[in-house]
Amino acid sequence: MHVLSVKGLSKRYPNFTLQNITFSIKPGRIMGLIGKNGAGKSTTLKSMLNLVHPDEGTIQMFGKDFKQNEESCKQDLGVVLGGIDFYNHKKLKDIAKVTKRFYKNWDEAAFQKYLQTFSLDPNKKVKELSTGMKVKFMIAIALSHRAKLLILDEPTSGLDPVSRDELLALFRQLVKGGERSILFSTHITSDLEKCADDITYIKDGKLLKSAEKSVFINSFQHLKEPGETGALSLEEIMIRTERRAYDV
Amino acid sequence: MFNLLYKELRLAAHPNLFIFTALGVLVIVPAYPYGMVFLFGCLAPFITFMYGRETNDIHYTALLPVKKSDTVKAKFLLVILAQITQLMISLPFAVLRLYVLPEGNPAGIEANVAYYGFGFITYAIFNYIFLTYFFKSAHKVGNAFILAIIPASLVVLLMEVIVHFPGFVWFDRVEPSFLVRQLPILFVGIVIYIVSIFAAFKVSVRRFERVDL
Repeated sequence: MHVLSVKGLSKRYPNFTLQNITFSIKPGRIMGLIGKNGAGKSTTLKSMLNLVHPDEGTIQMFGKDFKQNEESCKQDLGVVLGGIDFYNHKKLKDIAKVTKRFYKNWDEAAFQKYLQTFSLDPNKKVKELSTGMKVKFMIAIALSHRAKLLILDEPTSGLDPVSRDELLALFRQLVKGGERSILFSTHITSDLEKCADDITYIKDGKLLKSAEKSVFINSFQHLKEPGETGALSLEEIMIRTERRAYDV
Repeated sequence: MFNLLYKELRLAAHPNLFIFTALGVLVIVPAYPYGMVFLFGCLAPFITFMYGRETNDIHYTALLPVKKSDTVKAKFLLVILAQITQLMISLPFAVLRLYVLPEGNPAGIEANVAYYGFGFITYAIFNYIFLTYFFKSAHKVGNAFILAIIPASLVVLLMEVIVHFPGFVWFDRVEPSFLVRQLPILFVGIVIYIVSIFAAFKVSVRRFERVDL
């Protein structure tokens, strides 16, 4: 069974169209959603979550139709939106105090443990946290209500290499038990090399490929230039697919 | 429902909301246009909604395990709670002023039954325009406020001015027989307030469903 299955997701804006996005995630896997800035990664995630109204498409989450079962699906879902800070002037403990009331499976002992593990001070305000710490706080919240699926929109952008590496290592640890899955968008290809099992590539609002990492890399080897030996890296695949020359 | 309201009070509400809600006590101030109490009651949600935009409150709520319409419900509950609490706070002071300020209010209307009727009408008009306009986009707070505060202020102005005209002096009286005569104004005000809330909620939910966050 798939944890998440997205079929034919489309969203039309006056100047941008997300077309027919289809992919699925199995339990215990990490999927990286890649594409350059403006390709439609965030629109895909937001359309899946009903934050943006998709024009077409169905979302199955935990075997249920997401739209019909939004509340119960969200009980098992953790979302971290990159670049959006919540309640900057509030203390972490106050945000947690409110948030936990909404989740049936909230585990206070686990939350305290995650705060300690991530060195988060509950008396600190959100604005006092670094970008990496903010992501970790949201992950701590998601894990404390025992989310089975984590969806993160560009969680690594704006992080220094050390924090990024730390976060990616954490992702691997989280899926180790085979019960959780992670979908995260990024435009940093090294994130995927380090941590993704599957890759979904979106270009100009269209799905280019969604496959297991090695299958994904192999399917792009036709981009190799004559004389090149060895497999193309993800970065090379992305650059060669997107490359544009400006005539200025 | 309680959880939504708790979230609003703990995270979404700007401290100013509590202060302006407490300003119901202004009805004990001698010679003061008590219609200002209602205008403070309109300003309070405006400031809180601005603060909500700054803190991405709507996004946060939308990600919680609630329906999209619950995000709207949370805001409605907060606005209603603040306005009703404000009127409740003012009530004992409106009674007290009968004893400590028996000479009445030369600045405008007395804090009497008609006054509360006008209050409900002011809030009904403000809420309908402010909330339905806001939920069209979930971020245009300023426009929503300007559009809503103009007619709300006109009702307050009318209330304050009308009592100076001979035919409407009974609006300004506090003797029991006059208070009874003013009861229909209060009743109409409460009915308009309730109808306005339900109508605004229906429209806001429909509009917010279409909003792309």
